[in-house]
Amino acid sequence: MMNVPSKTDEIFDRLSKGEFICSNSSEQEIQQLYAIIDNRYEDLKEYFAQIGFDLKRENEYFYMARRDESKASIKRKIDKYFKWIDIFDFLKTFDNTIDPGYRFTISEIHNKLDVEANLKEKLEKLSTYTRKKNYRKSIQKIIDMLCKEGFAELENEVEGRYKILASFKYLEDMIMNINIPDEIQNEISE
Amino acid sequence: MLYFNSIKDLINTLADTKELLSEMFEKRKSFDYKYEYAIQVLNKDKVQKLIDYGILIRHEDQLEMDEKYLDFFEKIMEVNENINAAYIDEQIQNLKDNINFYLKEDNDYRKQKFLREIKSDLRTTGRVIIRNIISLNRNITNTFKTEPNYKIKKLKLEKFDQKREKIMQLIQQTENLISEDELTFFKSVSDDELKEISNKLQLKLNEARHNLIESQKQIIDYINQIEHQGQVLEQIRQVKYLKDQFELKSKTNVGQVLGQNKDIFFETRTTYPVPVSLDALQTDEAYNIIVQINRSKNVDVKPEREEAEPIDQDYLTSQDSKKFFINHETVKNQFMATGDNLFDFIMKYDFSEEVNFYERVTLYCQILSEYEKELKVTDNYQQYKGVEYAVVLPNT
Repeated sequence: MMNVPSKTDEIFDRLSKGEFICSNSSEQEIQQLYAIIDNRYEDLKEYFAQIGFDLKRENEYFYMARRDESKASIKRKIDKYFKWIDIFDFLKTFDNTIDPGYRFTISEIHNKLDVEANLKEKLEKLSTYTRKKNYRKSIQKIIDMLCKEGFAELENEVEGRYKILASFKYLEDMIMNINIPDEIQNEISE
Repeated sequence: MLYFNSIKDLINTLADTKELLSEMFEKRKSFDYKYEYAIQVLNKDKVQKLIDYGILIRHEDQLEMDEKYLDFFEKIMEVNENINAAYIDEQIQNLKDNINFYLKEDNDYRKQKFLREIKSDLRTTGRVIIRNIISLNRNITNTFKTEPNYKIKKLKLEKFDQKREKIMQLIQQTENLISEDELTFFKSVSDDELKEISNKLQLKLNEARHNLIESQKQIIDYINQIEHQGQVLEQIRQVKYLKDQFELKSKTNVGQVLGQNKDIFFETRTTYPVPVSLDALQTDEAYNIIVQINRSKNVDVKPEREEAEPIDQDYLTSQDSKKFFINHETVKNQFMATGDNLFDFIMKYDFSEEVNFYERVTLYCQILSEYEKELKVTDNYQQYKGVEYAVVLPNT
């Protein structure tokens, strides 16, 4: 019988749903789980490997992959990937310094729409995913999606302040992993 | 030197001399505020008071604000100073010149004058270097945090790095000056104050060097972050462009990257249903849960309702019916107007319909109980058709 830490079931429960466990989450439970994985990474990795999962450690966050074939179709992957390209691009247009630890409110994004036409246009295009015409509701929907996938969390309910979690780097890495050949890069004008 | 007894004293003194202090603070970078200018702004006694309390320091005909106060004002006002490496350079040159003059001068009085200037230069050099480093660090952090354009941000930081390099060179020059280049001067002059000042300066230079090493690390870290940020922005711009042109799949390796990707992030959220064991199902707890689930499921299943038959038309047609009833109040009122007794009155009363004997007896009892207070029940009893009754008269 392998020696696994307590709360392994909770860790599995979260990671096997495609969630992330981030070091900078304000939720006490997540912090606790992060500390457990951090301390017992090798044990857990080996344990999960035996049941077909690959525990992955990245910069300040953990997530899971399958060891054998992925259960998601390539179409599903591309659809989901494209959706997150659009959202990532929208957030970087809002503020190019947005990164783990960044804090913001819906109102801050909303206020910037008036001064940046580009941002407004991108938000309008995002209505494919948000299905909202109202700008504020649309922003809310995007932030809800971010929170649901574990890239952000509501840090202060009273002020409506959200925080970007360490897992945001996952999106960045996914985008950085795409190799655009030099000749194509040259084609794309500034 | 005098000391302030209380904050109140200090504030009063500062308030009293605010014109001069603010003027000197504004001109602090020129370092040549003359005593004679000061006594034109403020009267002599007040200037003397500032010197006595150590707020101002007088070197011959020059006045400068004490470092403690200067630092205090700068910190409170958060003055964003420019980094002036050229000024430090000039300061070192002055120092060199003065040392040179000192060594060449034979006249003792003039020698002392040069020595005083050398001391003043040494004092200010250390301070100027430290202050420049503080400004440099503040500017580095401010630029990193507030400059929105990442290209300008990078250029600015590179510029600050050059300044840092320059300050580092000046520190080296100053150290060389004290320990190598002008060794003759520092060894030959036996002046305790000079020794103390040069020792302090060396300590300050050491501190400055450590600070600058930190600044260098900070700049490198910031520049790396900015470069990475820039790369990310460029990459997302290109990826997004290709995606919007529907060319991302054909022109990049996105298909291959995602094809190899096994992250659960891309899968639909799976749950792992496990059937409940038979033992667990037999517990009370399980029973309650089953009842609950059943109840919640039943809500959606509504039994079909049978339609009622139409209402018979007879129920809907209205029928008039008459009902005879005796108004007790009227009977009583009429009785009150007669001198008869109640029983006989009721027996003889002419109702619009037939009222039999027993009904009349009941009416007698009803009226008697309803209007007891208005009637007088006597002790006189009589009999009529086998009924014994009390003689009741109006209570007048």
